Amino acid sequence: MYIRATGNISPQKTFGHGPMDDSPVVYNGNRLTAIEPEYKDFIDPKLIRRMSRIIRMGVAAAMECLHEAAIKTPDAIVTGTAYGCLDDTHSFLSKMVQFNEELLTPTAFIQSTHNTIGAQIGLMLQCNNYNNAFVHRGFSFESALLDAMMLIKENDASNVLVGAIDEIINASHTILNRLGLYKQGNICNLDIYQSTSKGTIAGEGATFFLLAKEASNTDYAKLDGLHTFYKPANAAEVEQQVNNFLQKHHVNISEINLIITGKNGDVAGDKIYDTLSTSVLAGKQTINYKHLCGEYPTAATFAVWLAAHILKFKKLPAIISHQPSSQKNIKKVLVYNHYMGIHHSLYLLSAC
Amino acid sequence: MDKLMSDLKSQIIAQLNLQDTKPEDIGDDQPLFVEGLGLDSIDALELIVLLQQHYKIKLSNAEEGPKVFKTVRTMAEYITAHQAQNA
Repeated sequence: MYIRATGNISPQKTFGHGPMDDSPVVYNGNRLTAIEPEYKDFIDPKLIRRMSRIIRMGVAAAMECLHEAAIKTPDAIVTGTAYGCLDDTHSFLSKMVQFNEELLTPTAFIQSTHNTIGAQIGLMLQCNNYNNAFVHRGFSFESALLDAMMLIKENDASNVLVGAIDEIINASHTILNRLGLYKQGNICNLDIYQSTSKGTIAGEGATFFLLAKEASNTDYAKLDGLHTFYKPANAAEVEQQVNNFLQKHHVNISEINLIITGKNGDVAGDKIYDTLSTSVLAGKQTINYKHLCGEYPTAATFAVWLAAHILKFKKLPAIISHQPSSQKNIKKVLVYNHYMGIHHSLYLLSAC
Repeated sequence: MDKLMSDLKSQIIAQLNLQDTKPEDIGDDQPLFVEGLGLDSIDALELIVLLQQHYKIKLSNAEEGPKVFKTVRTMAEYITAHQAQNA
């Protein structure tokens, strides 16, 4: 199956025609915030007023994706999110406390559910087709993508709008900061891989893909495979998972031209990437992406989006140009990502 | 009454997040629902909450809704009448 179109709102200038010629946006501090477009160009102003930031981001990214694919009504809409619409949830719960569980406004409650964005897209498109949302922590996007792939493989859909959305808000950032997820002190996003401390940088994003059964002459990439595994016991198990995944797809490691890893600057979490770079992935050209989008449970969407762009435009984009590149003819990309060392995922993409 | 209507317009804009709408854009006798401001049933619930939060008025009879929330003026009249009744 093929990635025909994409839409991505992230802490980089990814909305529009992609990042190929832009330098990375530099952030100082442990929080990367999405760069939002002018929503009125994509969403009816009458609808915008009820949408919180994450809903606008999700809907706009989905609309751009559909626009690029020239598809008005997809056969299915599948979304993934770990946190859901946090801002609306926070607003609703705060008002419950503030007004002693009375006088609750309906809008925040209605918009706080995890399937809000998928539902809103369906409503805007007047699309009554299959619509599902997956809320599986660090596997939320992977579960949504697996569902989309199964719909296509089982001929229940010929094209699926699939994506993931997660936001960071002040309250969640404060809580996760207290829990030690993020680096302390002055940290620049471009320097996280040189860091020797624990923790990473917070991120967010809304990324959608139009997955199609049939090839077209404008596809970004072919999505060959997806695999997830939970809490591997040790590095040997991860290596085994990588080998099994490649074997299942009849791919030899020598055929892989580029590895995209989910390194995020956390000295503990990055160990496994370093181990793999000296074993099963030794000698492979490797790039990282979380300095661009930060860490969040559905951050792997950014990696898939990046892989798709690299395969389509046949070059490494300027936003990762500071990373050494020797490979010119990139035909197969392996993405390996893990979230908190718990949720591990592998993606295999190839050029069309 | 004018002061109350002016306050109501600002409160409606804030409660319903009516972006790009200023209090002076809302006419005193302009219909709030369908034509006019184009509000819908979810907004009606928000307006009920607004009355409770700002004026301590609980709209107990749902059938009164369409009459009370017809325009900013009808809302102001309802609030004034309710306050006079409880004075």
